[in-house]
Amino acid sequence: MTKPCAVATPSLLARVPGVAIVLAILFVVLGLTSPSFATPANVANILVQSTILLLLALPMTLIIMTEGLDLSMGAVLTFASIALAITVLATGSVSLALLAALVVGSGFGLLNGWLVAALDIPPFIATLGTLGIAQGLSLVATDGQSVVGIPRSIQVVYSGSMLGIPIPIVIGAVAFALLCLLLYRTRFGTYVFALGGNREALRLAGVPVRRMLIAVYALGGAMAGFAALLMTGRMSAAHPTAGLGLEFDAIAAVAVGGTSFERGDGWLIGTLLGVVTVGVLRNGLNLLALPSSVQVACIGALVIFALFVDGLRSRA
Amino acid sequence: MKQNMTMLAAVALTLVASPCRADGETIAVFTKNQTNPYFQAVRVGSEASAKNLNAKVIQYIPTKPDSIPEQLSQVEDVVVKKPDAIVFVPVDYKALVPAVEKINAAGIPVTNITDRIAGGQLVAYVGADDYNIGLESARHLLKAIGGKGNVLILEGVKGTLTNTDRVRGFNDALKEFPNVKLLASQPGNYQRLQALQVMENLMQSFREIDGVLAANDPMAVGALEALDGANRKAAVIGINGSKEAVELIKSGKLLASGDFNGFIQGCLGVEIALRNLRKQPTPKEVILKPMVISKANFQAYETPVEQRQCPKLAELATN
Amino acid sequence: MSTAAHGMPARLTPSRDTLQALYRLLAAGLLCVVLSFLSDAFLTPGNIINVLRQTALLFMMASGLTLVILTAGLDLSIGANIGLSACLAASVIKATGSPWLGVATGIGCGTLVGLLNGALVTTLRIPSFIATYGMMWMLTGITYYYMGGETIHGFPASFRQFGSGYFLGVPIPVYMMLLFLLIGSAFAQRTIWGQEIYAIGANPVAAQLSGVPVARRLVLVYVVSGAMAGLASLIILARINSAQGDIGEELTLPAIAAVLIGGTSLFGGSGSLSGTLIGALILTLVLNGMNLLQINAAWQPLITGTIVLLAVWIDARARRASE
Repeated sequence: MTKPCAVATPSLLARVPGVAIVLAILFVVLGLTSPSFATPANVANILVQSTILLLLALPMTLIIMTEGLDLSMGAVLTFASIALAITVLATGSVSLALLAALVVGSGFGLLNGWLVAALDIPPFIATLGTLGIAQGLSLVATDGQSVVGIPRSIQVVYSGSMLGIPIPIVIGAVAFALLCLLLYRTRFGTYVFALGGNREALRLAGVPVRRMLIAVYALGGAMAGFAALLMTGRMSAAHPTAGLGLEFDAIAAVAVGGTSFERGDGWLIGTLLGVVTVGVLRNGLNLLALPSSVQVACIGALVIFALFVDGLRSRA
Repeated sequence: MKQNMTMLAAVALTLVASPCRADGETIAVFTKNQTNPYFQAVRVGSEASAKNLNAKVIQYIPTKPDSIPEQLSQVEDVVVKKPDAIVFVPVDYKALVPAVEKINAAGIPVTNITDRIAGGQLVAYVGADDYNIGLESARHLLKAIGGKGNVLILEGVKGTLTNTDRVRGFNDALKEFPNVKLLASQPGNYQRLQALQVMENLMQSFREIDGVLAANDPMAVGALEALDGANRKAAVIGINGSKEAVELIKSGKLLASGDFNGFIQGCLGVEIALRNLRKQPTPKEVILKPMVISKANFQAYETPVEQRQCPKLAELATN
Repeated sequence: MSTAAHGMPARLTPSRDTLQALYRLLAAGLLCVVLSFLSDAFLTPGNIINVLRQTALLFMMASGLTLVILTAGLDLSIGANIGLSACLAASVIKATGSPWLGVATGIGCGTLVGLLNGALVTTLRIPSFIATYGMMWMLTGITYYYMGGETIHGFPASFRQFGSGYFLGVPIPVYMMLLFLLIGSAFAQRTIWGQEIYAIGANPVAAQLSGVPVARRLVLVYVVSGAMAGLASLIILARINSAQGDIGEELTLPAIAAVLIGGTSLFGGSGSLSGTLIGALILTLVLNGMNLLQINAAWQPLITGTIVLLAVWIDARARRASE
């Protein structure tokens, strides 16, 4: 398989080190201070744990490239997982359940896109509103209780392996490859770049800007729906507050990875590294058994530090 | 000479094999968040118990309060480190079952406290009975207002086990007093400011409020503040037995508070975990008796948590 | 578009702002009318005072934030800032018995945080979203560490007047709200510094070229945002009479929502403090209504989300109608 992301312009290559530097530093420091860190079991752990966040952060990169934001992703993920759980309990069919989750996710994605593109509502507010709606629906549908009794067939998606590789890692890799293809090798991808930096030019060129924008948000929703499968598999349950707040982690991962909020540049490898960096940090802090308050402070420091390093590089 | 050697050897063996100084075990304690004083009490209790018994405790708290995925990740990370035992408060009693199963699969013994987990193999469960605490506290208030009048319920966070059980306890107590009218049941989300504002709003709708059943102490205090602000009075009960609540009970502003004591649970959780590791007998379950702290008995609760002593297991075991 | 002094592009013409403000006021008025029909308790003096007081608190938090958003920035650390400031102020009051030292601590802490945010954004050139997001985590960690899961409670009555006192039957926070509305609006609309802030949001490059000291103004807005957060933390402290590590957690999003509902654009350059006031009012009315109507807890986020969307949609339509 060709590596779409290797087709990078010189400026992209020059930015690889930013988040990679931070990740490398973290790896070395943690590897030295905690004996259990650099073991294959632990690294596999980190990668598996990071998959859900990756599935959210990848489409978030595209959304941020269009100068937008999707604050509702966590809530949509949660509601999709509830839809999935309810469907699998009612019908016993995993594929129907996955379909339900995808429909819910895409539905919200379309709603977000429509609010932003057709009604001109700023993405922050639009997705804040849909966050409330999705969260409310989750609470109403479950009356605040977890939905349990998820069959093995779904649990296995998170805990099983394919040819020795944990399934979540496989899913993550495939998603990454697909998004790279989409962004760097299709016309849609070029439009996404332009939606951020040069929307007027697109409009003048007759490209259906509105539909493109809606599609970008719909993609985000759909991937959140897919991620619901992993999350439900992980917990063997669906809980109305489980995924809340993940969107901020996704946004942070995207920013740490080097995608700028202003310029419409997109950097999927950066996002991938950003997601892994966050995962490595959290895992390392757990292994070091640092007090939770210190962990909280470290996460903030990491985010700022990563951007600081990135800033230094781009000005060097 | 030979006899002396044998005796020496015997003594030496006894000393080496003696279990009374088994120490240095590491217990990983999981709690839900950093901000609720209840869990702080659990942690203090766990450390006190470990100190008494010569063991070490490591605390795991999600950075995002009550975050299910984070606690799941923490369990996965901890299983790699392999502590000797785990004392576990699940963020959600259903969603964390796979985590407990993972711990079981890794061969680490688990003692469950506070929220009873819905699956997995446990060494023991130590808990208070939220339902009965709610029931007893509500009964206390309803008796205090003479069995008649108007009452409000301030609920906690929807979906949490403690809230569901406590509110159920409140409602069942209300059924025993048919002359008491329940005016409204609204969520304060266990938060003081929110409860204050909700109470303010409710006070506008209802001219006569005789009692407030709050599912935790911060909300009870919030309700008191709202009442004070409007120069109104009502009997208020909370649940937690927090320091602030005890002071307010002493001064007569708060009627009572249900004792939902994290300190004891932390103590017992660690003690049971260690006894299990040291092959000593342990009970399968310890359910603390529901206690309502009121003007009559608050003195016992005045000592701050840090200075309390862990109770003896034998005093509290119910089976 | 006319140009003002300094050859800078002027901010939006008054008539468009006024039109949007009117639409928003209409929305708030509509809410009031609907609620007064649905609930007898709504129009009572007691309830009106409650709504005003709760709005005042929200406005205080959102006012400094408005300036930040006017520059096309964002301050996500407001809630965490409130938490830390409140906890520090609480300790100081307890330790020294002096409310005024506590006030100084609270505002001082808030201002310092604002200064740090400003430095991150201007000197280290970190996008405000990320800088304040990272700051939020750090402040939260520090607060948790400092409080260690404990609460501080019981403050002197003189201090509590701040949040729960009345003057001529009106809660004190309401006077503060009016005061800051006047000062803030005068600053934003009538001083050079204010105009520069609008200019930075509308077109940072042009502003820079026209000689606006962009970095200094940016630091200013973050400092103001932080200081207002510190002030708000004192009011909350006075109101609930205690401090706990997580006080500020739920407050950031409502503050931002209030600003945005009030018509200030995230893209910068357009908006007003009076808009934020109305935004705060609308949000407070929604919560008040839900309590009075005893709406089930599960439905509340749903309703809030929908109303937020509705308010912004109306605003967006007004915006497009005037274009």
